[in-house]
Amino acid sequence: MVLENFPTFSEWFLPGLVLFGGIVLAAILLGLFVGYVVASFRHGPFEAFYIVAQVVGESVPDFLGTSPRRVMAMARLAVKEALRRKVVIVAFVIFAILLLFGQWFMGGTENPEKRFMNTIMFGTQLLTLLTVMLISSFSLPEDIKNKTIYTIVTKPVRATEIILGRILGFGFLGTVLLALMGLISFFFVSRNLDHTHAVVGDTQTIASLTAIAPGTEISETTGKRVSPNAVMEGETNVELGHSHRLEVLEFTTDSDDDPNLKAPDIVSVEDVDGKKVFRRLVCLPVGGHTHQVTVSGTGNDAKISLGPAIGYFRARIPVYADSVTFLNRDGQQDEGTNVGKESSYRGFIDGGNARQRSSLARAIFSYSDFTPDRFQNADVIPLEMTLGVFRTYKGDMQKRVTGGLQFESVPDNPEVENRFVSEIVNFETNEYQLQIRPVSRKVIGKIVAPDGSFVAEGEYDLFDDFAANGKLNLSLSCRDVNQYLGVARADVYFRASDDVYWFNYLKGYVGIWCQMMIIIAMAVAFSTFLGTPIVMLGVLMMMVVGFFTPFIRGLTAADRDGGGPIESFIRIVTQKNMQVNLETGVATTLIKESDNFVSHRMGDLTYLAPNFKQLDFSSFLTYGYSIDNQRILVALAITLAFCIGLTLLGYFSLKTREIAK
Amino acid sequence: MATDTSSSETKTSKLEQTNPDYNPNIVIEAQNLTKIYRDFWGRQKVRALNALDLEVKKGEIFGLLGPNGSGKSTTIKLLLGLLFPTSGRAVVFGENATEVTKNERIGYLPEESYLYKFLTAEETLDFYGRLFDMPSEVRKERVQKLIQQVGLGHAKRRQLREYSKGMTRRIGLAQALINDPDLVLLDEPTSGLDPLGTREMKDMILKLRDEGKTVVMCSHLLGDVQDVCDRIAILYQGDLKELGRVDSLLQVSDETSIRAKNLPAAAQEEIREVIKKHGGDVIGVENPKSTLEELFLQIVRESEQRPGQRVSGSDS
Repeated sequence: MVLENFPTFSEWFLPGLVLFGGIVLAAILLGLFVGYVVASFRHGPFEAFYIVAQVVGESVPDFLGTSPRRVMAMARLAVKEALRRKVVIVAFVIFAILLLFGQWFMGGTENPEKRFMNTIMFGTQLLTLLTVMLISSFSLPEDIKNKTIYTIVTKPVRATEIILGRILGFGFLGTVLLALMGLISFFFVSRNLDHTHAVVGDTQTIASLTAIAPGTEISETTGKRVSPNAVMEGETNVELGHSHRLEVLEFTTDSDDDPNLKAPDIVSVEDVDGKKVFRRLVCLPVGGHTHQVTVSGTGNDAKISLGPAIGYFRARIPVYADSVTFLNRDGQQDEGTNVGKESSYRGFIDGGNARQRSSLARAIFSYSDFTPDRFQNADVIPLEMTLGVFRTYKGDMQKRVTGGLQFESVPDNPEVENRFVSEIVNFETNEYQLQIRPVSRKVIGKIVAPDGSFVAEGEYDLFDDFAANGKLNLSLSCRDVNQYLGVARADVYFRASDDVYWFNYLKGYVGIWCQMMIIIAMAVAFSTFLGTPIVMLGVLMMMVVGFFTPFIRGLTAADRDGGGPIESFIRIVTQKNMQVNLETGVATTLIKESDNFVSHRMGDLTYLAPNFKQLDFSSFLTYGYSIDNQRILVALAITLAFCIGLTLLGYFSLKTREIAK
Repeated sequence: MATDTSSSETKTSKLEQTNPDYNPNIVIEAQNLTKIYRDFWGRQKVRALNALDLEVKKGEIFGLLGPNGSGKSTTIKLLLGLLFPTSGRAVVFGENATEVTKNERIGYLPEESYLYKFLTAEETLDFYGRLFDMPSEVRKERVQKLIQQVGLGHAKRRQLREYSKGMTRRIGLAQALINDPDLVLLDEPTSGLDPLGTREMKDMILKLRDEGKTVVMCSHLLGDVQDVCDRIAILYQGDLKELGRVDSLLQVSDETSIRAKNLPAAAQEEIREVIKKHGGDVIGVENPKSTLEELFLQIVRESEQRPGQRVSGSDS
C-alpha cells in the first residue's frame, strides 16, 4: 500500500475553498447566461432579463424560508417510498448471499484478513452505491410522471425542500443500509478469522517437535530458514489456508525475576554457570498474525496448545519521516539508484561492490518532531519496514539481504554542537517482507565533535539525547555487496500506539458514506431535469470518472506525447508519429497554445466529478493502518461541497421547470 | 384551526401593507393570460389559452366551463404556478402565481387524485399537514376531523392503492382542505364519483362557500356547474366566450313559468284562457318530472333506512 503525503485539513481547506468558490461562481455565471439565452428565445431579450432577475430574486427568500419540518416530511416520504420499492431489501439479500457463498472463495491465502476485508469493502461499496443510485434516480422523475408532484408544489414547499428532503431521506436509508452491512461484515470477518491450530504430529506435546542441530541455517526437514537461537522446530496444521512454523528458542538471563521466565510458553528452565537458560516455544507469524502458545507440564509430555489469532484487526498509526534523502556510493546526494524497474516510487540503496566495499550509499529519513509523547513515553518503539530488494546475483534466494540502521542527531547549529551517532544495527530482509524491529530508547553510540573527532561513547537516550531538539535522522544502508535495498518514504515508519480498531473500521465506512451521499445528491439533482434512464447513465458516468480521476486528469495534460486534441488531430491527418516534432512557426505555436488552453479547461472540468479515490479508505482497513482524521475531515468537506453545489443545481433546475408541462 | 385563521389574517394585512394595489375582495386576477405550448425547438404547437382576463371575487363559487381542450385545466395550472404564462399575468391573493407563499392559503384538488398510493389515508393527510408546517397537535386534530368529514373513518389505515375511485377522490378533497384554505381550486371535482358522491361533493362545495371560502372549479359536467356555481366563464379553444352570473345567464326573459300544487283540470283550462286573452302563447301545461338524480338519491336514502326491502312506489 502506498501512503502518500497528505496535507492537514487546515492546509487543504483554503485552497479547497477557493477551488469550490471558483467552480460555484463559474457555474452560477454559466447558469445565468444559459437561462438568459433560453428565456430570450422564448420571451425576447427584455422580458428574459426580468425573468432571470425574478428567479434569482425569489431564490433568496426560498433559501431563507426553507423549513426543517417540511424537509423532514419530504425525507420521511422518500424513506417510505424507497422501502416500498423494496430495492433496499434486494440489495441486502444480495449482500447476504455474497457473504454466505463468498466465504468459499475467500480462504486459501496466507493473509485471509486482507482478502476478507478487500472483498467485503468492495462488495459493500458497490452494492450501497448502486442501491442508492437506483432509489434516488427513480424518485423525482416518477413523481413528475405520475403527477404526484402536483400535490406537493401546490403546497408552500420550496424547491430546496424537495431536493434536500430527498437527499436526506435517501441518505438516511443508505446510512442504515451501510451501518447494517458494516456491522454484519464486522462479525462475519471476525468470526471467520477466529481460528487456532493444532500441532502436526500424533500427540499435541513437545514430543511432536524435532531437534535442530546447532548452526543449522536452513532446516533439513522443512526447507525453511531457522532462527539463530532455535533448538527445536515443528509445524501446525493448515487452517484458513495457512500453517505456522513453531520453534523452541533458547535464551539466557541473569535475573531470577525476569518476567520472561513466567511466560506461559516456557518449555524448560535450567541453571548453567549461575545463569538461567530458558527455552520458549514460539509460533512464528504468518500474514501479520500469530497465536499465543501455552505449554503445560514438563519434559517431552508437556502439552502444547495454541490460542486464538493475535495481530488481526490492527489500526497502526505510523509516524513517517518528514522527508527522505538518498546518498550515493560516494556520499553525494541523489534520487537513489534506479534499478531499471518501471516505477520510480522507490529509490535503491547501493550495497557497494568488490572494489569499494564500504559504500556510503544510504537513505536518510529525517524527523522534525520526534518526541516521546508521540509514542506514549514507551521504552521500546517498534520500527516497521517493508523494503524492496534488488539482487545483482542470485546466490541463495532463501538468504536474506542485510541492511543497517543508524540513528544520528541533527544539531540546530552543527558548527558548534556535538552530534550523537549510534552504532549500526544490522537486520536481514527479503523483498517486501514486513520487518518489525523493536527499537529501545537506550541506544549505544558515541558523541562526535563538529570537526569529526571522537568525544565519548556510551548508552544514550533516543529522545533526551539524540532527539533533544525533536530532530532525528535515521539512515538505512545496504550491507551486502552487490545487492540493493529499495525504499520510499512510506516504507519505513515508527509505529505509535495503535488506533482503536472499531473506530478505524467506522472511519473506513465514512469514506463509503461520503461517496454514497455524493451519488444521492447527484442523482437527485440530475433527476430534476432528466428522465430516470438518463439520470442513471449520467451518475454511472460520473462514478467511472470518479474512480479513475487520476487517469482522466492525466488524459487532459497538454504535455503528453502527441500533444493536445488539435495537435493530435493534425498528427493523424499529416501522418506524423508522436515523437516527431512539428515544424516550428506561428502555426505550431498557435496550435500548442490553443491545445494548452483547451487542455486546461478540460482539466478544470474533471473537478466537476468527485475524486472517489480520495474518499476510499478501504485499503487502510485491508492493510491495517489507522485512517488519519485529517483525511476524514477532508472527505467530509468534499462531500459537503458537492452536496451544496448539487442542491443549488437541483434547486434552480426545479424552480425554472414547468412542472405540469 | 384558530391559529390558521389568525395567520391568514396576518398574511392579508401584510400584503395590504406591502402591495397598495391589492384588493382583498379580488382573490384571483388573470390579466391578458396567454399560454402557448411549444416543442423542443421553440416552435408553437398549440395555443391553449388566449388573452384571458378574469377576476374571481372573495366568497363566490366560480366555474370554468368548456369542452375538452378548451383551456380550463391550463388556467388552473397557471393560477397554481404549475405552468408559466407565455404572456400576461396570473395573480392570486395579490401575489404572482409562481410565488410559493401564496400556496399557504390555497387548497387544490387535481383532476385525478395524484396521491402517494403507498401511504394510508392518515399518513397522506399527516404528510400534507407537515408541508404546511403545522404543529403536531393541530395536525393530528385536523387529520381526524377531515377523515370523518369525507367519510373515510372506516378505511383510514388502508393504503390508497386499495381505494376505489370515489374514495380516492374524497381523500384528495381532504388533502386539499388540510390547511383550511381561503381559496379552493377543484379540477373536475365530480369526475369518477357516483351520484351519491357527486351530491355530497356538491354539498361540500356549497358548505365551503358558506364558510366564506372562495371556490374555483372547472368541469365539463354542465349540471354540476349549474347546481353550485355563482358565476361561470365559458371557454372554447382557449378563448373566453361568456362570463357572468349563472342565474342571469340562464334566465329566458321572454318566457314565464308558473308552478302550482293540487290544481284541478278546470283551473288549468281557466289559466290557458287567461294567457290567450293577454296575447301569450301557451307552450305546454304538464306535470313536471323529477330528475333522475333526485330519484336515485331518494331510492338510496330509503334503502339505507330499510335495508333488504324493495323501495315502495319505485315501480309506479
